Amino acid sequence: MKIGFPRALYYFDYFPFWAGFFHQLGIEVVTSPPTHRRIMEQGLKKASDETCLPLKLLAGHIQALRDVDAIFLPRMVSVEADTYNCPKFLGIPESLFPAVPQGMPVLTVTLNWRKGKRRVLKDLTVFGVELGKSKSDIRKAFLEGQEWQKRYQDSRGSGWDFEESIRKIERTTKGLADLPAISSIPPKVQTIDRQRIALVGHSYLTQESYANLNLVARIRERADVELTEHVEQKEVDTHLLGLRKKLFWNHAKQIFGAGNKFVKDQEVDGIIYLSCFGCGTDSMIQELLARKAREQHKPYMVITLDEHSGEAGLVTRLEAFLDMVERRRAHEGNISTYGERLDRDSNTL
Amino acid sequence: MKVTFPHMGNAWIVIQTLFESLNVEVVVPPSNSKQTLTMGTRLSPESACLPLKLNLGNYLEAAKEGADTIVITGGIGPCRFGYYGEVERQILRDAGYDYEVVTLEPPDGSLLGLAKRIRYLAGKDNSWAQILKALRFAYRKSVAMDRVEDLIHAARPRLPIPMETEKLYHDAKRRLAQTMSDKGVQDTVRWVQENIRERQEELGTPPEGFQKPLRIGIVGEIYTILDPYTSMGLEEELGRLGVEVDRSIYLSGWVGNHVFQGLAPGYRSIKSYPSHAKPYLPHFVGGHGQETVGAAVKFAQEGVNGIIQIFPLSCMPEIVAASVLPKIQEAYKVPIMTLIVDEHTGQAGIQTRLEAFVDLLERADLQRGIGQTRGDVLSVEGR
Repeated sequence: MKIGFPRALYYFDYFPFWAGFFHQLGIEVVTSPPTHRRIMEQGLKKASDETCLPLKLLAGHIQALRDVDAIFLPRMVSVEADTYNCPKFLGIPESLFPAVPQGMPVLTVTLNWRKGKRRVLKDLTVFGVELGKSKSDIRKAFLEGQEWQKRYQDSRGSGWDFEESIRKIERTTKGLADLPAISSIPPKVQTIDRQRIALVGHSYLTQESYANLNLVARIRERADVELTEHVEQKEVDTHLLGLRKKLFWNHAKQIFGAGNKFVKDQEVDGIIYLSCFGCGTDSMIQELLARKAREQHKPYMVITLDEHSGEAGLVTRLEAFLDMVERRRAHEGNISTYGERLDRDSNTL
Repeated sequence: MKVTFPHMGNAWIVIQTLFESLNVEVVVPPSNSKQTLTMGTRLSPESACLPLKLNLGNYLEAAKEGADTIVITGGIGPCRFGYYGEVERQILRDAGYDYEVVTLEPPDGSLLGLAKRIRYLAGKDNSWAQILKALRFAYRKSVAMDRVEDLIHAARPRLPIPMETEKLYHDAKRRLAQTMSDKGVQDTVRWVQENIRERQEELGTPPEGFQKPLRIGIVGEIYTILDPYTSMGLEEELGRLGVEVDRSIYLSGWVGNHVFQGLAPGYRSIKSYPSHAKPYLPHFVGGHGQETVGAAVKFAQEGVNGIIQIFPLSCMPEIVAASVLPKIQEAYKVPIMTLIVDEHTGQAGIQTRLEAFVDLLERADLQRGIGQTRGDVLSVEGR
């Protein structure tokens, strides 16, 4: 049996778990190709207008899955205790049915860690039994999935590269030996002057190089890039402590915790928040993080993506931002006290 | 301490009653207006949803009247409303307003924490029995408010002079806001009923072949449904076009489910919606997304002529619901229109779309060629 796994949305964070799970069950997992123009166009046609870019891309990737027996669209309600994923995750697969090709079966299972491990295992068992697997096999597969996920998450740290670690996982699922690592990071230029820019945002935007117009590589041309994923979980947690009310979205916690750490980190010269149009969680978190950045006088820019994002617009803004950060380091170490509250009513800075 | 709260349609009547019966000083912000929205939008994050912008406007206007404490309900997601309290507090503090924000929710699941917050608001002079009594009276008032609204919904398409119906509604609201006794509350509802009955009697029996008014069910995000400023007077506009509206969520139903955790059913309970939604959206998606789908199914089964979904731009749960609704439209052959509102929404745009939608429904109804008589308002109430 071949299961299609769209390369979008939860792929970027939770694919290792599912890959390990299905690998142990002896089910082949096929992923759709990296996003290209046709995938985006197909997605725009089939997804609802109001939804956000990542979901439109998911709709495209669903249609790009060829030669599979079924498409796998899990309902990932929650991935850790006391948090939720975005409401749009909760509406999958129902909200994406229009994108599924006629006659293609959809496999789905609810994953809700709010209700504890026992419940997750129970839901997975019901799902696995439908696929004709035994309970003990499913238990083993669950542990294997967790192991893969853990290894993937532990590997995150500075210098971590998404493409590389995901390639490893994909090759393992196909039973192939690991290729020697082809590093896509250009060798670090050892100049002291190089800027350090933090890029925060949802993994499905920062790692989705087609949709974000290759933003990470573009920044890397001129600066070292720090990502949300590079921050250790422990550090994320300590930087969340100042909140009066706990955040209840898993991704938002990562983004705000990591962002808050970058704001305080003297090594980081500037922060770029990558968001997409209509993102509900970002509209709140961006506001909170902007406030922190303002307090610390940290250069901060928000880039909002949608399906109409133009390359020239992005490049111009990025260049201007990097120039500003560079010049600030060279000439203007401090902002005058006069300007301190000029930006009070501004939304983004 | 002067307490204020955000507006949401007629909710102010109930909240004001609650605090006044506890002798807590309360400032009702000026009604939502263009100014409220402009002031609120200036401070709000650009892509926040419309209710947040109006809330902030309400607080700014209330601050002019001396309010210093905000009461707002909360939640633990996944709808972003749950985080409103904290974001609003930070925004207001930066803008130079020193508001204390009290979020009525169990902090980290602790009921003791909730009790402490209620105690903080109610002050030392009120016993728990008094607080409970005040809550129950406010709740009964909200049920009465909903009954009045329902009567007005039915009266609008049936009574000849729209201005008079609106005046009746306005007077009923004022009477409800002022009365502090159960008798007064009941009398107001009865007064509205009698008023409508008198006017219907004046009309006499309708001529032969008179059509029953079209029925449209309104579903969607609670704030936009309940707040006529936000929806550009959706219900009134439809009533004037000769449509009887029914909506998925009434204030007391929401209060019963969220504040009293289902202990009180409310005037029209929202409990049955998830089971109606099951074939189309089996899992809850935060906010009232699943309720929207369930209500649409329920309306379709009841045979309404059309359904309108309304929500603020970028509302996450409603977007999920919106992408499921076409299936219901197909299954029940009922036209569904989606309206999205934000601070740039214009009255004329909404009006045009409503007129077109109603025209479309009327035509379908004429083709069926059923010569029904004009129904009776009072038989509609409490359905």
